[in-house]
Amino acid sequence: MSRASAETEADAIEELYARGVTDGLPVVPPTPARVARAVAASGRRAEELVALVPPNYGRATVEKVAVNAVMAGCRPEYLPVVLAAVEAVCDDAFDLHGVSATTNSPSPLVVVNGPIRLALDINCGAGVLGSGWRANATIGRALRLVCVNVGGATPGVVSMSTLAHPGRYSYCIGEREEASPWESLAVEHGFPVGGSTVAVLAADAPLGVYDHRSRTPEDLLGTLAASLAVVSHHKATHWGDTLVVLSPEHATTLGDAGWKKADVRRWLWERLRRPVRELVPGRDGGEGLPEHVLAKFADPARDDTLIPKFRAPENLKLVVAGGTAGRFSAIVPGWTFPKGSSLVLRPIRTP
Amino acid sequence: MADYLDPTDSVAVPRKTAPRPASLEGRTITLLDISKAKGDHLLDRIEELLHERARPKAIVRKKKPTFARPAPDALRREIAGATDVLIEALAD
Repeated sequence: MSRASAETEADAIEELYARGVTDGLPVVPPTPARVARAVAASGRRAEELVALVPPNYGRATVEKVAVNAVMAGCRPEYLPVVLAAVEAVCDDAFDLHGVSATTNSPSPLVVVNGPIRLALDINCGAGVLGSGWRANATIGRALRLVCVNVGGATPGVVSMSTLAHPGRYSYCIGEREEASPWESLAVEHGFPVGGSTVAVLAADAPLGVYDHRSRTPEDLLGTLAASLAVVSHHKATHWGDTLVVLSPEHATTLGDAGWKKADVRRWLWERLRRPVRELVPGRDGGEGLPEHVLAKFADPARDDTLIPKFRAPENLKLVVAGGTAGRFSAIVPGWTFPKGSSLVLRPIRTP
Repeated sequence: MADYLDPTDSVAVPRKTAPRPASLEGRTITLLDISKAKGDHLLDRIEELLHERARPKAIVRKKKPTFARPAPDALRREIAGATDVLIEALAD
């Protein structure tokens, strides 16, 4: 790059900052040529409408998504993944309006399954939730830019999250299917083996769970359950989809003992029920069961009825990811009230 | 920005807030509970104050099924067609 063109690029970066269309980091200037390359790599028409993006219901055409993907730093061949993620977050079941506007902290986490992970070098291994991989960093970032620039989720103006979390810069992982004892997240949800998909979860920041000593499923899941118990707050109940990212070593402890995903989910769900008497507001904190639930019990302070932390075992979504060394897992809490957001999956369409 | 494409939806129509009435007297006022904890406490008190300090024609109470989603279209139409002023309560 000549000195003159480098200066032009620098000016463009400043101009894009001035227009308020960045996430706080510099963006790649979306020249017509760069955007055209991305559109071409998708195999779709530039003017094709992908989705209306809440809360402003802006029109996300293939070209508009490509502009944001270029700005995020995506290579052209990443565009099919970004398009699938945009389709997924705009599904009514995801409730992007709520996700983008709430005072809570969620950000869409993208989980990629299938052979496209390898083709695009999407990190599924060491440091999977961190930095260092172009595909993870820019695909997640592109989705965020679409939510803001097309959907209108400007922080502090429409997006009123009190705290938010760093995943709002980018939040994208691949499942390490090769190190999993089980079917992938996508196959579990009915997609064919050999296909590629995205799953999106309205997600809080990951909470690491360190368990170096457990060697049986019951011991390991006891540790995981205790950390899952504090999702939202320690007395929150009837929670929805939440992701448990198991490291390969932890997954092996479960898989080698013959446990299936359904066994793990059931065990955790049962362990995470608590009696009404422990969930009364004012006991161990002012939070607790809402009034309409308490009204169902004659004497809540003494009632032993078990209330589930998660609405159903199926709300506990399991994926395997991360480095092969290390007995660490992570809980990625969903922003998943009753009637709120759910995990949504979409196939990735490649040309 | 002639050399760069626009990342925003430039065809999106900017929205304006409805005109504010000079007085609440003789108006129908809807109080919308968004289903957040204690939203009803806030609206109960606002309703009391409205009766004390204004002379509305009527005060109507409505409730969203959940705070986590926009109001359903049917509820929005119901409110928009039958009220002069809407007060929506956040809470917690």
